[in-house]
This record gives sequence, C-alpha cells and structure tokens, in this order.
Amino acid sequence: MRLPCKAFPVSDGPHVCSARLNVSIALPYENAPRTKRFDAIVDSGATRCVLNADIGRFIGLNIQSRKLEETMGIDSMSKVYVHKVALYVPGGPINIKAGFMEGLRVPALLGMNGFFEHFIVKFEVNELAFEIDRVHRA
Amino acid sequence: MSPENKLRLELLQSAPLNKWIALSEDESKIVAIGDTFGEVSERSDLAGCSDPVILKTQEVWVPISV
Repeated sequence: MRLPCKAFPVSDGPHVCSARLNVSIALPYENAPRTKRFDAIVDSGATRCVLNADIGRFIGLNIQSRKLEETMGIDSMSKVYVHKVALYVPGGPINIKAGFMEGLRVPALLGMNGFFEHFIVKFEVNELAFEIDRVHRA
Repeated sequence: MSPENKLRLELLQSAPLNKWIALSEDESKIVAIGDTFGEVSERSDLAGCSDPVILKTQEVWVPISV
C-alpha cells in the first residue's frame, strides 16, 4: 500500500510533510468497540508504539494501573504506562503492548515493536510518499 | 502537493491550537473540536460524521523531531 505523506503547517516557515497513518485501537477482546480513526506518526526511531493517554482512557483503560516504563526522548526522559491493546491497521488488527503517555503532543507514534515488526516500510521522501506491506507470519 | 493535501493543510492552519480536532472522512473539513479525544469523538457523532479522522493540533506549529 503506497500512501502520500501529509502536509503540516509550520508557524514561521514552509510546511513540512510527514508519514502518517490513520489507525484505531480497542481493548484486546473479541468485539471490543474500536475508537474512531486517529492520526499516527510512522516513527522508525520509536522503540515501541506510544499513544496519547487520552485515547487509552477513552477505551476504558486505567492508565496508571499498569507497569510504568521510563523512555528516553530526544532530550529528556518520559514515563509511559504499558497496556495491551488491539491496534487496527491495514491488513487487520494486531495485539500489541503500547505505551500510554500523558501529555503526548500527538495522538500516537507507531514504533518498532508493535508496528514495524509487522510491516515492511519504505520511505520515499523525494516522492513525498511511503509504502507499507504487511508481513503475515504463520 | 496534491489538491487534497493542500486543502487539508489550510484546514490545519485555520484550526485552533492545542486542541483535538476531527476531520471528515475525506479530510476535507473540520467536523468537531474538543479538549479531549472522547469529547471530539462524541461531537463528531453529533455532527453526523461517524468515520472521522482525529488529530491533535500542536501548541505551536513547528516541525516534530521524533
């Protein structure tokens, strides 16, 4: 699946383009209701998927009830609470462990564990596009 | 840039900062604005849009380094 990168404003300069995917999540149970789709950054630099805690609360997670993990951001440490969720992506849902972070400035990051392990991802920056192909394991 | 992407960019430029917003299914208009994911999700239903795309606008539009 080839997708265009999406443009985002920059207050004092030209816009920037970014690889984004619309995804949704649910509790990892059969027939659990899904969230509406939300914008997620395809982020090869993230070790795992990290989601805004607000989305977790919406599906009924008690965010701080689970294991706390410290993660290293670009310039500081952050705290995430790890929960199991079903991540709805092209090709069907994947049960993953995602970190939920209070105050995350974006809805979600799709990282190595939970996303890239299930997809071959090709960034075509000069074409302002990216390609994802689901890896189906036996 | 495609016309769709250009329109979407203009929508984001017009949206309030530091809010959750819901775009219509084709991402051509803003259908709801809220302070939480749940609020904007509910408001998009009330606006008659059952399959929106929800985003969070930044406090300041700057490039993201992740």
